[in-house]
Amino acid sequence: MAIQERTISLLVNNQPGVLSRIAGIFSSRGYNIRSLCVAETTNPEVSRITLTSRAESDFTEKIKKQLEKLVDVISIADFTGAPSVQRELMLISLRLNEENRQEILRAIDVFGCRVVAMSGDSLIMEITANKDKTAAILRYFEPFGVEEMNRTGAIAVFRRQQE
Amino acid sequence: MGTIGADIVLKTLTEEGVEAIFGYPGANTLPLHDRLAEGPIRHYLMRHEQAAAHAADGYARVTGKVGVCLATSGPGATNLVTGIATAYMDSTPLVAITAQVDSDLWGRDAFQETDIIGITMPITKHSFMVRDVTQLASSLRQAFQLASTGRTGPVLVDIPKDILSAPCGDQPKRVPAAPSKRIENPEQLERIAQALNRSERPVIIIGGGVKLGDACERASEFVQKAQIPFVTTMMGIGSVASANGFNLGFIGMHGNELANRTIHQADFILALGTRFTERSTSVIEEFAPLATVAQIDIDPTSIGKNIKVDLAYEGDIQDALTALIPLIAPHAREEWMGRIRAERDLQEAKLKDGGCGQAGNLIRKIQAAMPREAIVIPDVGLNQIWTVRTWQSHSPRSLLTSGGMGTMGFSVPAAIGAKVGAPDREVIVICGDGGFYMNIQELATISAYRLPIKIVVINNGHLGMIRQIQDLFYEARFTESELGDKTDLTAVARGFGVPAERVAVDEDPKEAIARMASAEGPYMIEAMVDQNNYVYPIIPPGCSNMEMICGK
Ligand SMILES: Cc1ncc(C[n+]2csc(CCOP(=O)(O)OP(=O)(O)O)c2C)c(N)n1
Ligand SMILES: [Mg+2]
Repeated sequence: MAIQERTISLLVNNQPGVLSRIAGIFSSRGYNIRSLCVAETTNPEVSRITLTSRAESDFTEKIKKQLEKLVDVISIADFTGAPSVQRELMLISLRLNEENRQEILRAIDVFGCRVVAMSGDSLIMEITANKDKTAAILRYFEPFGVEEMNRTGAIAVFRRQQE
Repeated sequence: MGTIGADIVLKTLTEEGVEAIFGYPGANTLPLHDRLAEGPIRHYLMRHEQAAAHAADGYARVTGKVGVCLATSGPGATNLVTGIATAYMDSTPLVAITAQVDSDLWGRDAFQETDIIGITMPITKHSFMVRDVTQLASSLRQAFQLASTGRTGPVLVDIPKDILSAPCGDQPKRVPAAPSKRIENPEQLERIAQALNRSERPVIIIGGGVKLGDACERASEFVQKAQIPFVTTMMGIGSVASANGFNLGFIGMHGNELANRTIHQADFILALGTRFTERSTSVIEEFAPLATVAQIDIDPTSIGKNIKVDLAYEGDIQDALTALIPLIAPHAREEWMGRIRAERDLQEAKLKDGGCGQAGNLIRKIQAAMPREAIVIPDVGLNQIWTVRTWQSHSPRSLLTSGGMGTMGFSVPAAIGAKVGAPDREVIVICGDGGFYMNIQELATISAYRLPIKIVVINNGHLGMIRQIQDLFYEARFTESELGDKTDLTAVARGFGVPAERVAVDEDPKEAIARMASAEGPYMIEAMVDQNNYVYPIIPPGCSNMEMICGK
């Protein structure tokens, strides 16, 4: 079966212990969670969890059924292959010197990143993009010496088809 | 005395129809144990919390109601774990109540503080940590609701001591549950019926879910109407009357050859309430290679979990069978039934004693001396396989066994729960020497409550099943599987207040069995059996159900 990156999103009761039950479903079946994003929704009693995992194609069906059995899971959406907008936020901190300064600033502009902090010899930028793009950007900057990098993992919203 | 959390617990349990609970106190359960004396609920003081969980499990398996066990925080709670896991694997409806340290002590490694919710997460359907006394009744009610619906199973409710002793007012009354949903996909059942009607060599598999879903009578009706042979899993034994001529026995590693061979040739399988564990299918790729598989199960995650299914219906088995019966067109499948008859004659000629040797004869004699509606509870090991292969089960809740978990030590405490749940039925334990040691302390509970439970310990001086595996697959190197003969189990039993006698290997057990059968109170027989009395056929690890070994 084809191994592929899967993105699913869950609405859950905003309560202690819920995340560990969900994580348990993945770990007891040997699936690694690659990214995970949790935040309250407009209803403070409900949180949304978006997670990605690499797995074979019947994964979502099987995992979905298991997750649906959890009392605190309200609903599950599968973004894999569906028309949607997916984004993650990445922060990169770089060291600057005379030789690389110009090239880095130009690249930041080309990639549509934003500089959020800058001092004499260092710079922090942010990028919001889909995961392929954040990965490509990170690859580009790596040779310049990335001091620190942090990313949120994907969040997603379905693209509504035009009526 | 004003109302406190503990009163709410007892009141809610009473409203849920609980009559008996199995437990053990600790400082943190005391607010609750303290109030027990006033209420209608009987509490059985066990000698170990593991046994409390097994007793609640046995009670539930016999009555079909939710079993309840109670333990204190820390070691009391962790002692429940094996019992909860056993119930989980066999889908027994169970509510485990644990007391927790006072809530202001949480997270401080307080005396007897354990994260029991975290520990039991993979072996419970759900759990509740009660954080406020006003949530006590609703958490417990939800626990009962969850334990007893869908694929039934254990639910844990952890209640801090300060909440058990917190003063409180009355809590909202129980609201009756909404009626369960009816058939949702009738066309799926129609498809199953069509495929079944077209098939030439159909077989039904009856799993444990048939009895859990109260569908035994419907399944019998179905078999009679369709005139189709059936096999069972170990958990399904007894669900459909054995004697109707369509029962081929149980499938799997220690199953009946007739059952294993027939399912291998089937062109259609209707699976009712089974998840196709590897114990019943052996190597899954070689299981029933010719068959179209239709699966009916209430648990969506059990459908297609272990095997590729061609047709599936997710829902209540009883409802599904009720809808299926009128759709079935019986037809005489002479060729198929003839083949099965011939195979049956062949097997019966080959395995005269059912493959269980001396132990099988012993068990047959025990059953002959017991009333028809007796409940038999084997432990785990050879004794279990001898029993399930030999005992003729006549009704669904008369053979209780730890199937999914295979928990040694299950039988004696489960018998306590069974006897409490069915005081008018004879309860008999058939246990190995190894398993007997594992909850031997419960003899004290049995004699303290004068529970007339009959126990036969089949003593082969060994962990017999392990010895057989070593004999067959480890070139007869018997490492660490001998228990020896230095312990006089009859003296031990008498020390606990249970009358006991020994039957030697070459002695006829008849009279001892008669004495046991007529005993007013509890009674134990230690039946000595040769260490080389194994069980056949057996399927070697990594082999298919067709590769049964029938002797050394
Ligand atoms: C708690 C537990 N520990 C270990 C095992 C592994 N095991 C399965 S059968 C068996 C031997 C059981 O010996 P005994 O109770 O004497 O029964 P016999 O097979 O001799 O009838 C063992 C050790 C188990 N099933 N349960
Ligand atoms: Mg033994």
